[in-house]
This record gives sequence, C-alpha cells and structure tokens, in this order.
Amino acid sequence: MEKTSEAQFEVLWPLARKAKRAESTATAVGDLSGKTVAELWDYIFRGEIIYPAIRERLRERYPGIKFVDYTHFGNIHGPRQRDIVAGLAARLRELKVDAVISGIGA
Amino acid sequence: MSIIGSAFMKQAAFVAKGIGIPFALAEYPGAPMVDGEADIRAKVDRHLMPAILDGLTKPRTASSVASEAEPEPGTVVFRGTLDEVQEHFLTRLWSDGLPVIPPTAERVAAFLEFTERKPEEIIGVFPLEGREATIHSIAVNGVMAGCRPEYMPVLVAIVQAIAKPGFRLEDAGSTPSWEPLIVLSGPIIKQLDFNHGAGLMKIGRQANGSAGRFLRLYLRNICGYRIAPGDGDKGSIGYSFNVALAEDEDWARDIGWTSFGEDMGHAPGDNAVTVQSVVCITPPTYSSGAEARGHVQQFVDVMGRAFSYWAYSGLKRGYWHSVIVIGPSIAKVIAKTMSKDDVRRYLWEQATIPASLMQNFARQTGGLELDFRKLIDEGYISPDYLASDDPNRPVRIFVNPGDIGIVVAGDPGRNQSRGYMANHEQGARTTQRIALPRNWDELLAQARPPHAQ
Repeated sequence: MEKTSEAQFEVLWPLARKAKRAESTATAVGDLSGKTVAELWDYIFRGEIIYPAIRERLRERYPGIKFVDYTHFGNIHGPRQRDIVAGLAARLRELKVDAVISGIGA
Repeated sequence: MSIIGSAFMKQAAFVAKGIGIPFALAEYPGAPMVDGEADIRAKVDRHLMPAILDGLTKPRTASSVASEAEPEPGTVVFRGTLDEVQEHFLTRLWSDGLPVIPPTAERVAAFLEFTERKPEEIIGVFPLEGREATIHSIAVNGVMAGCRPEYMPVLVAIVQAIAKPGFRLEDAGSTPSWEPLIVLSGPIIKQLDFNHGAGLMKIGRQANGSAGRFLRLYLRNICGYRIAPGDGDKGSIGYSFNVALAEDEDWARDIGWTSFGEDMGHAPGDNAVTVQSVVCITPPTYSSGAEARGHVQQFVDVMGRAFSYWAYSGLKRGYWHSVIVIGPSIAKVIAKTMSKDDVRRYLWEQATIPASLMQNFARQTGGLELDFRKLIDEGYISPDYLASDDPNRPVRIFVNPGDIGIVVAGDPGRNQSRGYMANHEQGARTTQRIALPRNWDELLAQARPPHAQ
C-alpha cells in the first residue's frame, strides 16, 4: 500500500504549558572572606567526609569565613523535608547566611 | 551551589530548568558510595573545590534555565500517517516507546465528554518541569495510552491522587525505580470491566492495562520523567509499569471484610482510586490449610522476607506502605477467625529480621549507620527496637500495622497471594474519590452498548 492511501492524522501537542515562575534573584557572593556559608545535606552519599573537607579548604583560602554546618538544619531529604524546606529561607536569613552549599545529589 | 554525582548532572540541570533557578553545580566524579575516604578527599580537592569556588564567587546568568518556546495546549503539532505520527512522537520523547493512539482533536473531545470539568482546569503544577496538569492533558495522554473515553473520570482521579503532597511526585525519578500502583474501588470496577480475578496484574485487559500505561505516560509527558535519552528519570534498574489493580469487592463483603476502598475512608458504593509506589513485588505466595494462622504465617515467612531488605528505609520515615493482595479462597479461610486488623497486627508483630542485618542493609545503600536510638528519640519507631543490646535481636520490619493495605483479588481457584512494597515515603499512599458526570449512566450506555459488553 502506498503511503498516500493511508489515513492522515492531525495530532495535538501531548504536553502542557509550563507554569509561570519567579525569576531567580540569586547572585554570586564574590570574596568569601568573613562571609557565612551554610551546608544543607541529605545525610547520605558520604557528606560526612565531603563537607568537612570543603570546610577545611575554604578556611585555608578565605580568612574569617564562617560555617553553619548541616547539623543546624537536619536531613533536607528526610521525613521532615517539607517542614525544613518551608522554613529554610527564614532560617537562612536568621542565621545571616551569604551562600549555601547543598548536596549530595547522587 | 549544589554537589552532584557525575551520573546525576543531567537530572540536576533538568530540575534547575524546571524550577527556573540557575544553580551552580559542582560535579563529583563517579559514585561516592564506592570510593574510599582518601579518594573522596582527593576528588574534593581536584574536582569539587574549583567548581565550588567558581560557583560561589562568579555571577551566573539565567540563560541556562530559559525555556524554549512551546506550542499552546490544543495545538495541532503534526499531520501524517500512523507511522509518521509514531516517529514524530518517538523523536520528541513524547511516547513510552510503544505505539500510541494518535491524539486527534476528535478523540480528545470524546474523552472530555466524560467530565464536567473544563479542559483548561489545572489540578496542580507538577514537578520536574513545572507543567500544568490540566484536564486537557489528561485526555490527550489517555487517548495515547489506549484508554477508552469512559475511563476519563478514573484518569482524572488518578492525577488528583498523585497531585496530593503526600505522594511526593517530586521523587518519582529516584534510583530505586519505583512504579506507581493504582488500586481501583467501587462499582466502576464492573462498569468499566476492570479485571479482579485470575490473571490479575497481567497485561491483557484493556481497562487495567491502559489505565496503568496512562499513568506512566503522564509521568513522562507532564512531569518529564523520561529515561535516557531523556533527563528526568534516574531509575537505575527498574521494571515495567503496573497495570491497575482492582478488588473483588463482592468476595470481600461476602466473607465479612470491608473493601479496600472502605479501608481508605470511602463510603460503601463510592468509586475511588488509591495510588502508591511499588518498588518490590514478592514471589507468588502459596499457602494452604483450613486454619487462618497457617496462611498469615506464610505471609510473614515469604512476604516478610522479601520486604525485609528495604525495611530500614521505612523506619527512617516512620511509615511505609505495603499492599497484600490475598487470593479470594485464602481470604475466605482467614476471615473465619481473623479480621483485616488481626492480619495486619500479626504481620506487624511476627515479621522481623536481626537488627544487625537491618543495619547492614542501611549501610550498603547510603553509607551511614542506622541509629535506632535517634529514631526512637525522634518518635519514628517505638522503644522496643532497643529492647536489648544483642546485635541479633529481632526487630520488626513493618513500622505500623495500619500501613499494611489488604486487597482481596486474584484467582479464586488457586491458593495464591502476593505482596507489593512501597519505596518508603516516595509515592506514599494517596486516595481520591472518583467524580462521575451527572449523566454518567447515559454516557456509559452510549459508550458501551449492551451487545458490546
């Protein structure tokens, strides 16, 4: 059978509109000296080694840098994830955090 | 600034795009769970630190998360033969790899006849791509999956169920590769010819198969959970989608048990869907004898063992849903002396593994010790998990008896049951009453004339 004799179908787009979203206001910190860096961890995938190692290296490089380590926030991917995330912006403001390192995505 | 394993970089970029935030990403080469401490420290120095310094100190633009222009819903995006339509959809990752029914305007309109809701009505904005889960999108994907128009009320309820926050739709692409399981309740099981008997959970009945396929297709197209060459689904080793499960409600009532739908809080006679994740299916569990105890002990010995590996993940969240599908003839024996609650409690009390083995399972997955003390202190598990300091003391695998769902279904002529286990909090059980249009009976009669039934 030739293709021209086959039925033709006009098909609709099967996806859906993306919702409007807020523009990101995140900016780079620049010099980290004297700044406060928070750690957010999902308590898995070797963060207990990775975060202290990063802390050590950043301290060597930036005098006066401060850390709010992951224990201040709890497991960001655990049973209390929704509560933690909902309160995160306020908590970061309260702790005067300049930058956040989150992980471990693996 | 986010630290991401190599194999997850595509997913991280995909999520960033979905929520519109240009995250800085630091790539951890390889898989941290198979690296020793010295390797991890070396990778921090060589790979993570340069990216972290760059990400924290240099400005980033939003161009990396800008969206391309897309068609409006309802737009005709292609015209061609059946083969050409398949190729068009395959190329754009709009199908699940199997042939789809072409979603023409006429077919979609036929589905929309079976709901009183407007096509543009939004049930929710779904992760990962931030798309609007509309009634129209349900109809389009229902057509593609091979559903019949009269399934539309069921499909809408399915999407409403997974839209509930407790379901955690944002975790549907995780590495354990769980699949959603739909459980159907109510008279609509018979009206739409869902199978609840022999051959349960097998492809072969249009209603069960196409409803299950619809949900997987919806997760691909509206959420963006696509395996490679797509980006959103990071399942490692998965399995096929589940066809919908329907209960033999007549049998459940005849033996004096409530239906699963009633257990989920629906009134007798209500139509409802319940959806939860499944990450493990037990072996077919044969049990025999005229006494209830022998059957439920077999559930403990077979299903309990199959579930035990992943039990620690439920303990860490304080809940963990499973579904036990009990063969009708077995349910009849059990129901003579045990209620559904009795069965749940027996499983909860008797299904155990040594504490040290549970701790090893936890360590193998994520690298951290399972801290029973901490979980007790935080209220996730009861104090008896530390009843002694014997590392081989038995600890329960089911967190709460009430988390165990019981469905009576399957082959009444055989003594077989089977268990389905959720992926801890991901895809937790949610339920939704099915809303039928006011002229349902009339519409159904037109769609399914008596000679066709």
